[in-house]
Amino acid sequence: MKSLARDKHLYLMLLPVAIYFLLFKYAPLFGEVIAFKQYRLADGIWGSQWVGVEQFRKLFSDREFYTVLRNTLLLNVYNLVFAFPVPIVLALLLNEVRWSGYRRALQNLLYIPHFISWVVLGSMVIAMLSPSTGIVNAVLKLAGLEPIYFMADTFWWPVSYVLSGIWKEAGFGTILYMAAMAGIDPTLYEAAKIDGASKLRRIWHVTLPGIRSTAAILLILQVGRMMDVGFEQVYTLKNPAVNRVAEVISTYVYNRGIENLQYSYSTALGLFQSAVALVLVVGVNRLIKTMGERGLW
Amino acid sequence: MQIKGSRSAGLFHWINNLLLALCAAATVFPFLNLIAVSFSGSRAISAGEVLLWPIDLNTDAYRNLIDDGQLLVAMKNTIQLTVMGTLLNMAFTILAAYPLSKPRLRGRGYMLQAVLFTMLFGGGMIPHFLLVNSLGLVNTYWALWLPALVSVYNMFVMKSFFEGLPSELEESAAIDGANEWVTLLRIILPLSMPVIAALTLFYAVGWWNSYMNVLIYIRSTDKMSLMVKLYQMIDLVSPEMLRSGEGVSERTITPEGIRAAAIVLAVLPIMAVYPLLQKHFVKGVLLGSVKG
Repeated sequence: MKSLARDKHLYLMLLPVAIYFLLFKYAPLFGEVIAFKQYRLADGIWGSQWVGVEQFRKLFSDREFYTVLRNTLLLNVYNLVFAFPVPIVLALLLNEVRWSGYRRALQNLLYIPHFISWVVLGSMVIAMLSPSTGIVNAVLKLAGLEPIYFMADTFWWPVSYVLSGIWKEAGFGTILYMAAMAGIDPTLYEAAKIDGASKLRRIWHVTLPGIRSTAAILLILQVGRMMDVGFEQVYTLKNPAVNRVAEVISTYVYNRGIENLQYSYSTALGLFQSAVALVLVVGVNRLIKTMGERGLW
Repeated sequence: MQIKGSRSAGLFHWINNLLLALCAAATVFPFLNLIAVSFSGSRAISAGEVLLWPIDLNTDAYRNLIDDGQLLVAMKNTIQLTVMGTLLNMAFTILAAYPLSKPRLRGRGYMLQAVLFTMLFGGGMIPHFLLVNSLGLVNTYWALWLPALVSVYNMFVMKSFFEGLPSELEESAAIDGANEWVTLLRIILPLSMPVIAALTLFYAVGWWNSYMNVLIYIRSTDKMSLMVKLYQMIDLVSPEMLRSGEGVSERTITPEGIRAAAIVLAVLPIMAVYPLLQKHFVKGVLLGSVKG
């Protein structure tokens, strides 16, 4: 009680924040109950009829659900395999640049796309890959190759998706790795040098172990997003020709829920997504910890 | 041996520098190309001749966009969205981070856990939509501002900055009889300019780029944000728009030119603050990675 009186101003500051979290972060969790109901706007959340797991039964017998789930997981696996290591390699290369002014200039150029929205980047990607006027196909033509319809081809669309993601985020992703590398004890490098270790061996035995824990944390965060492919990137890049590989959970929820008003069905899908994501992030966190690294918590 | 080693090291650095320069060039080339296209004549654009420098330099595409006016309305909306949204964000982020940076605060651990949990598990798109709908906020900007008052990540960045400030400052203020509001405003915030700058810029860029939530919550065309308008324009540069420019000869304008000009206008404000931004965001990112 005494501490409450002493810190009353601090609690007063927290009051609006607490109301915000309760209303906009916790109340929607209760809204998830409509996944077990047949929601009708007129009846409201509590007045609508309970239907048990009917929505989930519908979900799991919907063929489109499996397509969307597969696309979501596949695009994330591609990102994990092809995009996740890029900032590490980029940071290793940047770390070897001797002249710090040149390095800073490079970094500032590489960070730029991070601050630009997907609407802009997506339209630029589509323009660059256009079979008639795009620069990429112009180069292919010069090389005597047939133009490729990148954005309308079910093989090339995921490739373009992953590469455009690298374009936007790889540079910015180097920040944490560069900081971790700057924190490595320089005497380790000198000791390795005296022992006659080549540059590659020094990178392998000193630099990489030095950024291991950073990579571990970022890996957990990435797996936590496994069920969630960002809406805006897919929405701005996709087109009807590639829906079969491009429709992901978030765009599907938007399509069924917001555009077609199937609130209960899309909430069931959203709830399934959140639950699997939670299990994944907790699981990977535990796995990382058993490997001897610090987890997220 | 010595000489051979240093020569191969020199070669390594040479190749490395060149490789990175290529990466950086590849990253920014599309932007430079876009600027060049936006100032180029229609013949050169259609022929695909424009690379880094405008050909048949003209400003018709921009004149066309300004005469048309739709993009300017959307830009005005987005400025409103950004200014008010960022102010609300900063106020609430500070109000959350300052008390939670005090280890003596009772219940702090539970509150931090409750906040962290919302990062791991959240109500989905539809429950959020139904909540905002039932509050009667759909088609107002409050539907965008209120659900996004605090970014938990940014709140932790600010909290760890506050924790790094020397506690003697506040103790002396407390002895002088200042309460926490006064201390926060007079002592803490003036010392926190680096983190305030970083987070203000992060939030502002987020609002400037806001797209998905506008798509979900805003219905009237006259309230659309810049990015939604831009997407519509990119999707379909209407023939009427091409004709609307007065004194602009039709032949000099292509859809590509209009698109490029619209994108340049939409990205310009971010590029204008970028020199300011790059000083601060690295610090902001690194503060966030310090475990609080």
